[in-house]
Amino acid sequence: MAVWALVRKVFGALGLAATLGLSALAAVAQDEPPIVAAAADLRYALSAIAAAFQAETGLGVTLNFGSTGDFARQIREGAPFQIFMAADESYVAALYRDGFTRDGGDLYAEGRIVVMVPQGSALAADENLDNLAAMLATGTLTRFAIANPEHAPYGLRAREALIHRGLWDALQPMLVLGENVGQAAQFALSGNAEGGIIALSLALAPEVGARGDFALIPADWHGPLLQRMVLLRHAGPEAEAFYAYIRSPAARAIMARYGFVLPGG
Amino acid sequence: MDWTALGLSLQLAGWTVIALLPVAVFGGRFLAYRSFGAKGLIETLVMLPLVLPPTVLGYYLLVAFGRNSPLGAFWQEMFGQPLAFSFPGLVLASIIFNLPFAIQPAQRGFEAVPIAVREAAQCCGMSPLRSLWQVELPLAWPGLMTAMVLAFAHTLGEFGIVLMVGGSIPGRTRTIAIAIYDRVQAFDNSAAATMSAVLVAISLVTIAATYWLSARVGRRLG
Amino acid sequence: MALEVTLQAAGPIPLDLAFRVEPGQLLALVGHSGAGKTTVLRTVAGLWRPENGRVAVAGSIWLDSASGVNLPPHRRRVGVVFQDFALFPHLTAAQNVASAMLHMPKAERRAEAERMLGLANLHGLADRLPAQLSGGQQQRVALARALARCPDVLLLDEPFSAVDRATRERLHAEIIGLRAHLAMPVILVTHDVNEAQLLADRLVVIEKGRMVAEGVTGRVMSDPVALRALGLREAGATIAARIVAHEADGLTRLETSAGPLLLPRLDGVPGTWVRVRIMAHEVILARQAPQGLSALNILPGTVIEVKPGDGPGAFVQLRLGRDTILARVTRRSAQALGLAPGVDCFAILKSMAVACDQVGAGTDPADPDP
Repeated sequence: MAVWALVRKVFGALGLAATLGLSALAAVAQDEPPIVAAAADLRYALSAIAAAFQAETGLGVTLNFGSTGDFARQIREGAPFQIFMAADESYVAALYRDGFTRDGGDLYAEGRIVVMVPQGSALAADENLDNLAAMLATGTLTRFAIANPEHAPYGLRAREALIHRGLWDALQPMLVLGENVGQAAQFALSGNAEGGIIALSLALAPEVGARGDFALIPADWHGPLLQRMVLLRHAGPEAEAFYAYIRSPAARAIMARYGFVLPGG
Repeated sequence: MDWTALGLSLQLAGWTVIALLPVAVFGGRFLAYRSFGAKGLIETLVMLPLVLPPTVLGYYLLVAFGRNSPLGAFWQEMFGQPLAFSFPGLVLASIIFNLPFAIQPAQRGFEAVPIAVREAAQCCGMSPLRSLWQVELPLAWPGLMTAMVLAFAHTLGEFGIVLMVGGSIPGRTRTIAIAIYDRVQAFDNSAAATMSAVLVAISLVTIAATYWLSARVGRRLG
Repeated sequence: MALEVTLQAAGPIPLDLAFRVEPGQLLALVGHSGAGKTTVLRTVAGLWRPENGRVAVAGSIWLDSASGVNLPPHRRRVGVVFQDFALFPHLTAAQNVASAMLHMPKAERRAEAERMLGLANLHGLADRLPAQLSGGQQQRVALARALARCPDVLLLDEPFSAVDRATRERLHAEIIGLRAHLAMPVILVTHDVNEAQLLADRLVVIEKGRMVAEGVTGRVMSDPVALRALGLREAGATIAARIVAHEADGLTRLETSAGPLLLPRLDGVPGTWVRVRIMAHEVILARQAPQGLSALNILPGTVIEVKPGDGPGAFVQLRLGRDTILARVTRRSAQALGLAPGVDCFAILKSMAVACDQVGAGTDPADPDP
């Protein structure tokens, strides 16, 4: 009985707390740092840029990494992002056309794909994918990871490259698809696959690069990865400041470290 | 260790429990005491979130909360923010997918109150509300507590629906379960391991609490 | 302050009854399981609603299908004692009783609850939980709780079927003692005809939802139609007797209005009045006082009526002093002995034929205000 009396008090306290209501929560979200929706290949590069931005201006941003296609969908459904950094400019063009963005945005980098294999893999990373072709021919390949071509630009370009090399059909049953190129990298290097095709910027990151070897895939094997960024409709002044910072020399230097070919040089 | 994410998870679970408590009391009681034609249908509907894949639920919830739906548009008007990809949207979704966890054990708790005792309460002159407060709740509370504990624990562990309805927005909708997913993708295994261990610990405490409560119910009625 | 009940229903058990109970009267509803007795009780309490019914107490209408009145139980001033006690398991005895006292100010409830528990012989048990009480004690708490409501009607639903026989006898005695203080109509539902005959002023015999007999206990118990529903072996009558002395050889001597009675040892102080139930099939009749019989009880009486049955049996109603008893003999014997109204004869009863639960507390029949 004593326990019930205590429980009654607890329930009463909870009921009191419940009168606060959810609208209080809705109001809280006003003065948080602006959210940047960035393609997964930018994880390490953009984190470094954001840190430099914070050091210089004292302003913070919240970074959200995922697949370009997913973010585009979420933006259409009203997600509260203020900057969108896509790995393929066609998504930005579509959003601009449909009125979700302030303007057509700016090209901030051109990306490259690499073939990457974990330490000790039977597959060797060579830029012509000869080793991959050989393993496929002998039937010794079990798993190969790429990003999902449906909504991740890096996955789409990986598929184009494989088609160009004539390996796509043979590779189909062995493919593991990541939700975005970051997850593809994680699959490729997890030890459960012989390797995969991921973004150069991820391979150049110390956290990733230390885990294996990679080789650059010729750029003319696939369409270009023209990465475009844009301010979304309700972007505020802090978002604008960060947007400008990304195009500054300091930020461009960081991007170059991660293998991004920059427009205009 | 992403404390913000843990905080979000705990808040989400907490608000869910608060919102579901009256639902559990009155819904569970209603289903326990009444017999009517549509009862089987209602019980089935309540159990539905338990058996549906989270992606199915997530899909329907997204359709219901999206900016093009009546609810989503209304919310946008009222608060200037979308319902999807927001914490309040998560709470709403959480209330729905936790219905079976909240109502079922509560219903069992109320079913365990002997009918003769309830009738005796009426014959003592107690109105239905007074009977609920003085006779039924003191006897059914272990079932209610089980319901709340289960809903709390289940919310902490929910992934698919939270991801679909909330996105993975740090500080807003990135709960600890999703933070773990994100850390794995970032090759940050130590953070993933730490957060996973924390979740396991919380889950163990929850399961232990549920067993203890069940034993209490058994002892009281045995 | 009388209670009037009529009800008709098609299901789940077809029912069709009407009866009336005066204040201070105890009416027993008897019949086999499934006959519908409990349903009638639940209708009066408001726990069940028949298709057609009317329940009126002291002028206020609790149920009237014709005008759509149907008060829920908590708005009827009714006290109910349930078969399995139905005490609130999380409350102490005193709290159980107090929970029926919602009409009293909160400050007074505890003291009054303790007083009622005292009246029910439960001193010192006020703070015990039901799980810590014996069956008999729990039933007393249930009774105290029902009475704590100051009810207009007291309903007892097979209240003694869940306790052992010894406890049941004690509870019977207490009910009889309580009768004097009960000013309201009381309905007792029981399948135990023995119990009904010992406790009730009036009987209603229910078979398959219909009343087959209704009236004063003694008269119903000699009605063949009622007896056919209850079982012919239930036929019997009660006589009032006063304990005179306990003999050394384990018998008790009692005095009835027709003469002395010797029964196996009874509990009771000499001078106490009891009611003895004498089963009709245990009574032998004779035209002359027999000699050399082992039976010790030979009482003179006069035949009131002979009722032949369909079979070989016949019921003979006999006046013994101020009491009336029934004897079940064959039609052949009734004819052979020339039994007819007005004829004198002797009733012979074996001492050992009377079981101890056939003797209940009684009151002095000569005392107009017991």
